Amino acid sequence: MNIVFSATRTAIDSGAVIVLAGSAELLMERTGMLNLGLEGFVAIGAVSAVIAASSTSSVWLCLLAAMAGGALMGSIYAMATVVCRANQVLCGLALVLFGTGMANHLGAGFSGKPMSARFVAWEVPGLSKLGGFGKALFVHDPLVFAAYTVIPLLVSFLLYRTRHGLNLRAVGENPAAADAMGVNVMGMRFLYALIGGAIAGAGGAALSMSFTPGWAPGLVAGSGWIALAVVIFAAWRPGWLVLGALLFGLMRALSFIGQEQGWSLPAPVLNFLPYVVTLLLIAAPAVFKRFRRATTPPAALATPYFREQR
Amino acid sequence: MSTSSAGWRLERRLDVSAARSVGTRTAGVVVAVLGALAVFQLTGRSAPDIAGESIKGTFGNWSNFQETLIILTPILICAVAVALGFRIRVWNIGVEGQFLMGGWAATGVGLKVGGPQWLQLLLMALAGMAAGALWVLVPALLKAYFDVNEVITTLLLTFVAQQMLVWFSTDIWKDRVAAVTNASERVNAKLPGFFGSTTLNWGFLVPVVLVIVMFVVFRSSRWGYEVEMTGGNPRAAEFAGIPVKRRIVGVMMLSGAVAGLGGMIQLTGAVHRLSVSFSNQYGFFGFIVAALAGASALALLLVGLFIAFLLRSGIAAQTRGLSVALMFAVCGMILLIVGVAEIATRYRLSRAAPEPMAPVPQEAKMSNTHFASAQEPA
Repeated sequence: MNIVFSATRTAIDSGAVIVLAGSAELLMERTGMLNLGLEGFVAIGAVSAVIAASSTSSVWLCLLAAMAGGALMGSIYAMATVVCRANQVLCGLALVLFGTGMANHLGAGFSGKPMSARFVAWEVPGLSKLGGFGKALFVHDPLVFAAYTVIPLLVSFLLYRTRHGLNLRAVGENPAAADAMGVNVMGMRFLYALIGGAIAGAGGAALSMSFTPGWAPGLVAGSGWIALAVVIFAAWRPGWLVLGALLFGLMRALSFIGQEQGWSLPAPVLNFLPYVVTLLLIAAPAVFKRFRRATTPPAALATPYFREQR
Repeated sequence: MSTSSAGWRLERRLDVSAARSVGTRTAGVVVAVLGALAVFQLTGRSAPDIAGESIKGTFGNWSNFQETLIILTPILICAVAVALGFRIRVWNIGVEGQFLMGGWAATGVGLKVGGPQWLQLLLMALAGMAAGALWVLVPALLKAYFDVNEVITTLLLTFVAQQMLVWFSTDIWKDRVAAVTNASERVNAKLPGFFGSTTLNWGFLVPVVLVIVMFVVFRSSRWGYEVEMTGGNPRAAEFAGIPVKRRIVGVMMLSGAVAGLGGMIQLTGAVHRLSVSFSNQYGFFGFIVAALAGASALALLLVGLFIAFLLRSGIAAQTRGLSVALMFAVCGMILLIVGVAEIATRYRLSRAAPEPMAPVPQEAKMSNTHFASAQEPA
């Protein structure tokens, strides 16, 4: 029974980065921006927090630094793809190289050093006392709680319950129509590149300030790519995103527990399981009709908007 | 309504001359490199010193140049693999994974299968190509038959390949005798040296041959024509009776096979052991080369040499504060700037007429063109 509790706990902790990065991607894709650079955004967010921690011990300032780093990446992305209308796939991949390369270069000096600013676990009053179950679900640090509650709820509310969210989705589905209705297409996309960047940066902080505090060369290890895949699995809906992230987290947790318990599977096999499962997650709905969900990608995804060519 | 507030608008050029395309790409590269040097200068390091060190470390003498060619080989092979995919508009970003698996399979054959050296090398090459092709099979099928984004699937498998390498080089094939850490036993079969050189081997000609073969195939074979047509317009290709899905799977597997061959060349020409640091991100550098070079064979070779120069600088000028990771970042910046410059070649900024044209003719003109394009296929 203890294994189940600790697996749940680790699954939730390790899925936090996926929820955050996935929410960022979901918002950006809903406005029509396919941001393949997510991996680079997360890396820059993670390293920004680590660099900030060398001059402050305030966790919130470090989180702010991570979000600023992510937003900076978002602004570069938006300058290239929204303002200049460059190819989104190419620019996204360019930002993966730029982000991971820069993060590895800047982080090299901090590698393996202890992190001064890290989030500490916080107990939900009352609920955390419910035995192992309470410990697994209700004792996490604030960033993890925010990742699973505030962010998805906010994103969901914004998308489906506000006029602004309706406009946002319109920009992603049919920018020409949104433009005709008076929505500022470029402004909307730029705004969500910044917001998405900041949230993805916070996802980086979930790695370097919470899950595995500090910087290490393989810290990000595809989290951004997995988040991208989970957004597809979730069919661009926040609720499913949380589920996908938890599933990924569970796989990650299995690899930790497997090593702890001395399962006969070698560690690298346990380490690559999450990637294989993620691959299955995006393949299954495409291959088997039974798993197919109604939502299709935003119609204007990855297409730059030229008012003159309408 | 169609004019923006400043009165400027983007206008599409009808055709982009090759010279203009080369010009903007070169300008993009120059801007990014100068930008990086400016950052060095501003952060208190001497940019001329760094540039000098980089050039000396790469082209300075024959032995350094050989090292550059050694790096160029896997990068160019991976670039050919990515460029193959581009012909059919497929982004095989997972060449890194296929490269690693090619190296893995070649190591397996090299360690377990005996025989004369030439036979061993031949079998290793075949095994490497088969492993690379199989590693991309699932993403290829998903892409062709179910329209699943190949960028994500091939990349996810790259992470799996990296773990496979960790597993085999630190556990299953681990060298428990020699004083090497985290590496497999030594594979004895190796490519013959280039005129007796101990560093350089004949392997560096492989990518050159591949580039030429690719150029000829796409110039003059039916298969190449069908692939390019599918890349240009899959619907039209379908109508013309080309088996589009099979072509996509075929091209992707060929791409994987080329990357896998790269892994075999890397093993038998440069490193001789499978290890965690088997690849210096060559697959990703190959992608950069292919993305920058476009469809030209000559450009592929030249850009490859330039990127190899950057990577080699990252290794040679480490004492000056460069690193491979930093070069990775510089390449990303180059790619981004070139991506933006690309738009500059295809569009031009023009000042809209101060008084907009009468709405009626403009509308008539627009609907006319729409009408014309809608009529064309019929």
